[in-house]
Amino acid sequence: MNWLARLQHLDRRIIFLLMGLSILIPVLFPLPMSFEVDERVQNLYQAVERVPPGSRVLISADFDPSSRPELEPFFRANLDHLFRRNVKVVVVSLVPYAPGLVSPLLRVYGERYHKQEGVDWVYLGFKEGKELIIKAMGANMRQTFPTSYAGVSIDQLPIMNGIKQLKDFPLIVMVSSGSPGTKEWVVQVQAQYALNMVSSCTAVQTPDYIPYYKAGQLLGLAGGMPGAAQYEKLVGVPTADAMATRGVNVLNLGHAFIILAILVGNISYFASKRREP
Amino acid sequence: MALPWYDIAGAWLAIFLTMCIFSFLYGDNPAYKFAEHLFVGVSIGIVVSEQWFGMLRPNLIDKLLEPSGPRAWLYVIPLVLVLFLFTKLTRKHSYLARIPIALMVSAFAAVKMTGEANGNLMVQVADSMPDLAAVYRTTYPHWIWNWDMDGAGVLSSLLVIIGLICCLVYFYFSVPHTGPLRYASRFGIWVLMVSFGASFGYTVMGRISLAYGRVLTLVGMDRTPDEAAQIHAPAASLISTVIIIVIIAAWRMRAPPEATVIDDG
Repeated sequence: MNWLARLQHLDRRIIFLLMGLSILIPVLFPLPMSFEVDERVQNLYQAVERVPPGSRVLISADFDPSSRPELEPFFRANLDHLFRRNVKVVVVSLVPYAPGLVSPLLRVYGERYHKQEGVDWVYLGFKEGKELIIKAMGANMRQTFPTSYAGVSIDQLPIMNGIKQLKDFPLIVMVSSGSPGTKEWVVQVQAQYALNMVSSCTAVQTPDYIPYYKAGQLLGLAGGMPGAAQYEKLVGVPTADAMATRGVNVLNLGHAFIILAILVGNISYFASKRREP
Repeated sequence: MALPWYDIAGAWLAIFLTMCIFSFLYGDNPAYKFAEHLFVGVSIGIVVSEQWFGMLRPNLIDKLLEPSGPRAWLYVIPLVLVLFLFTKLTRKHSYLARIPIALMVSAFAAVKMTGEANGNLMVQVADSMPDLAAVYRTTYPHWIWNWDMDGAGVLSSLLVIIGLICCLVYFYFSVPHTGPLRYASRFGIWVLMVSFGASFGYTVMGRISLAYGRVLTLVGMDRTPDEAAQIHAPAASLISTVIIIVIIAAWRMRAPPEATVIDDG
């Protein structure tokens, strides 16, 4: 059995091991690597920059543990960006696993920037109903979320004064991993209320959402971990906190390994076919 | 700041369960099964509690128990509809469940239809025919293909139009794909394949990102340096690995041979 045939019967666990190493090594020994910021992320950043200090931005934080590594870095950087500019933040979630991740982060960033809950930020929590909830928020935000996640009536929250429906927010940021997510927001309310929207989504969803960006339905789009890393770069997140920027090394080596595995697998397959009698 | 013991225990448990799930890469085993079942149970628990505290209680139960306003009695209607859904459990009255299901389907279909037509169809169709004169103006002097603008230019705009038409031709089955239509539909397949390839590439990137997130947890780099020093994540990972190896070894020794078959290829 020649070496090409042996490659065809390689134990798949060796591939898993090498893949694991290609992720672990750049985590332990990061290489200095630069990357460019693409137009979509640049426009997302500019859309946030255009929000006047003191106004309120709605974030739909719809990520769960399975999409956390891709979306949490963006969410953190976005909170950094908004709080630094003294923009108030109203957060909602449309997926049931989000509150456990979103609520502690808001508290940490609120304390870091000395922001008061209910005045500078509020988490309205999770609401079941998927697209119907988005539609309902477009018509009447106060009826859809009568209380905050902490159980405080929306009428007693200074940050919600004057907010009746979605069009009262100058910008809506979607941090979404699935359905309901960016697509549902765009389809249900963007055109109807002419809302300014930007999105951070998982890498898998990015090709589906690029047409929304091209058509102007999204003002900016950060796709997956590279998008989050580019946003971290623009916001100037400190290296210690920049989880996505550190992950770019991992993506580079991981992708290089997968490309190599595909090439070697195909070459060995065709070579072993040619040697067959 | 010192972390409470339950935070440290939680971090160790997360590391152990991550290693349990990773052990599936070696083969199916009891440690993996334990983590899998725990995950399913906890997931359902979270969903049920979030549904109760976030939806049912504030929107229905509280409004029935503490009625406010003359129309508060109307909340009895959704309560009855909810109860109708449970009649699916009986044979005699299961037909009652059709009423709330019909309401849900019709409401959802209406919302979907208007939204899709408005946000997905109209805007996207309008945008699929770019204004070539405007593209020329915005990308000049590199109007054919502008590297600084993500490849924007007249060429890529024309490719969008031709690709769209050819993809539509591929899905047009009312006439046989012969003559020029054959070439158009063939090009449509190529365009579809390119888009599938792009989606697959993004999917691979997403999966690597997820693995990166888990590796950060295993080496303790998803925490602040102060917290990481208290958790000792690398030690927890090592101990978890040893425990899982012992579990798999014990399982392989005790179970009959047919129950411990591990796919080696």
